Amino acid sequence: MDCPEARDHLAELARNRLEPEVAEIVRAHAAGCATCADALQVEVGLHALIREQAPRYSAPPALRARVQAALRTAERPMASGWRAWLLLHPWQASGLAGALAALVAVWVATGWLAADPASRLVSLAVEEHVEYAQEAMHRPPPNPAELLAALRSRAGFALGPLFPGDTEAPLMSTTTAELRGKPAVALVYRNGPGRYTTLLLMPGADVAIPAEDRLAIETFKPHRRVTSGKQVLFWKQNDLACLLVSDLDGPATAAFFLKIRKAA
Amino acid sequence: MDDSLSQLRAEALTHLDGLYNLARWLVRDPAEAEDLVQETFLRALRGFHQFRAGTNLRAWLFQILRNTFFTQYRKRGREAEAVDPDVLDTMAIRLGPASGAGSPSGASSGTLSVDLRAALEHLPDDYRAVVVLADVEDFTMTEVADIMGCPVGTVKSRLFRARAILQELLRDYVR
Repeated sequence: MDCPEARDHLAELARNRLEPEVAEIVRAHAAGCATCADALQVEVGLHALIREQAPRYSAPPALRARVQAALRTAERPMASGWRAWLLLHPWQASGLAGALAALVAVWVATGWLAADPASRLVSLAVEEHVEYAQEAMHRPPPNPAELLAALRSRAGFALGPLFPGDTEAPLMSTTTAELRGKPAVALVYRNGPGRYTTLLLMPGADVAIPAEDRLAIETFKPHRRVTSGKQVLFWKQNDLACLLVSDLDGPATAAFFLKIRKAA
Repeated sequence: MDDSLSQLRAEALTHLDGLYNLARWLVRDPAEAEDLVQETFLRALRGFHQFRAGTNLRAWLFQILRNTFFTQYRKRGREAEAVDPDVLDTMAIRLGPASGAGSPSGASSGTLSVDLRAALEHLPDDYRAVVVLADVEDFTMTEVADIMGCPVGTVKSRLFRARAILQELLRDYVR
């Protein structure tokens, strides 16, 4: 056994996790090699020092209580994400769009752009979104100009012109989110009772739109997929990557897409 | 109910302190650490179907925390820390006796716990995570590699380099 090989085993040897015969070979090498013997001594000493003396931080009781509550309510697989999110973020429990954007952000960041398993998260996001959106239906639509102004000031990147909603599809809420460590924003429109559409925008410089499954809508060709009956469109405009998730059917989603796309 | 969710609900709280401990070592700020742990549990609940019941739940939760930190928190204005071996060799040399910089503050405080904390905080994020996982949480090298999403050899290399830095910073306590 040479020094690099021996060094490779020092950490496990210091923790008594090597097979006895391998441990014996490493010890035999260290017995005849001052460098490796020193390294083993340092490894043993530092491991013990850190294990015994490094500060250990305990979770605050309030955090424990929140996590406990979130775990307790995680009974229904399709609902667990939203319920847990609201329990873990009680100060934003009224922030429907925040919750939605957080979920959308996660599934985009962790899956959909790279692979398909996130389809499950897409349906989770949309179904739960509808459930909570229905609870928010009694609220009158807020002032879209104020919503958009606030969003622009918080976004951290240029949003360009945005569809402010109209009488058919008022803008209900906006929020900032984070995608792959980059800022993003979400806008939630209400297309009717229990029917919502979420538009997610993020800087698009390094975001690739899938080349396949393009849907021709007038002169535009966004990538389209349907997940759990929900329409999803994905495209770029200006320097932004845009994701639209809608409860509407295909033609209505395409029509709504045009409103959003032409506003930009 | 799904077996993996049952296991998550039954066991998750027993790992809360360890997760929070790692979060504190990574982000340092208590409120941010709470956020990181909360996000970890949220992701775990959302992704529990990806977890195979009966396998290593503890390592899986730590992996989620580590991924969340490295994909979100560190990029949120936190400077990406150098993991280039050459840079670290330079750092180890700079911190060595010849430079006179014996501890992060430039001098030993004379108190082990203070100096140990300062030395660990001085490590780059990747190295500190490996040290906390391997020394404090007592994960095996293979588990640390799974959690960190890198080969076992990289873990050993990071640990070895971290040792070199710590040895210099803590030379009043180890030889």
